[in-house]
Amino acid sequence: MGAIVSRDGDSGVLHEAALLAFADAAILDRAKLADARATLSAVAGHETMVDAAAVIAGFDAITRVADGTGIPLEPPKAVATAEWRAELGIDAFWSAKV
Amino acid sequence: MRQELQNAIERAHAALGEPGVWWTAGERLKIVQETRAVHACSLCRRRKQALLPHGVSGEHDAATDLASAAVEAIHRIVSDPGRLSESWYRRTTDSALSDEAYVELLSVVAITTALDTFGRARGAAERALPGTQSGEPTRRRPKRAKPGLGWMPMLAPADVGPEDPPLYACAGRSGGNVHLALSLVPEAMMQFWDLFEAMYLPQHAMRDFAREYRAIDHAQIEMLAARVAVHNQCHY
Repeated sequence: MGAIVSRDGDSGVLHEAALLAFADAAILDRAKLADARATLSAVAGHETMVDAAAVIAGFDAITRVADGTGIPLEPPKAVATAEWRAELGIDAFWSAKV
Repeated sequence: MRQELQNAIERAHAALGEPGVWWTAGERLKIVQETRAVHACSLCRRRKQALLPHGVSGEHDAATDLASAAVEAIHRIVSDPGRLSESWYRRTTDSALSDEAYVELLSVVAITTALDTFGRARGAAERALPGTQSGEPTRRRPKRAKPGLGWMPMLAPADVGPEDPPLYACAGRSGGNVHLALSLVPEAMMQFWDLFEAMYLPQHAMRDFAREYRAIDHAQIEMLAARVAVHNQCHY
């Protein structure tokens, strides 16, 4: 998980670097999006790029639904993820405190 | 592209131009236009950079004649979702925006975001708005929606009545908190989840690790989901 949050390691997920670069460009840096798309398509194929785009888009939306309604984590999920949320700094997010 | 995904995208796009439960078709399309205009709003840009977003005052660069409360809601949801708060929600909805209208607005913003982010990511041009369908909002509120979980009342699975749409049962949805989020307007909830499940995974597939349902596997999907959630500072 640390690799996903801070990009400082290798998660072992197939095509990790190309997928994360694609997500970063799609959400944060449109100037890099064309290159990231081309790289991902080249290393993993067009269908992988399309399904990755779909997941990125879906979560770009659902995070707004969650944060725009004030829903809390379910208690079992909160307990199960307490340690790594603290470790990854997720508990420091503004949305964790309101 | 998967046919199921293409079909869900076409349904979602067309529905943006249909009358909703609390907004007319024309108003829903204005919400789409306003959502797309946020990236050019100087107030949103200044607030995003500020330590405290409410410490920066001013007027949004609105693209429509929607009421100021709706414009504020759209702009904040789009530009700075990770720093929304209950106090902001109370201020925004106390003025001229009901809980129900806010929830449907949020659904339209979320669907627009999903469609536009997907198109941009895969290299497609931004789609034109769909045609406007005639008709009036039904203004139907679930009778058994209750306050307590989030900022507005929600309809839990156990409280769904025969007069309500099958918002959970239609797709085997578990009724997790994220499912409940938009449940005050069941039709808006179902429209969002119809698209979201085609983009991500349906409920039954989320923990079916014996089979892969997409061109990317479960680990790749969850890695991307986590990455986007971090970028948007989403605690949930």
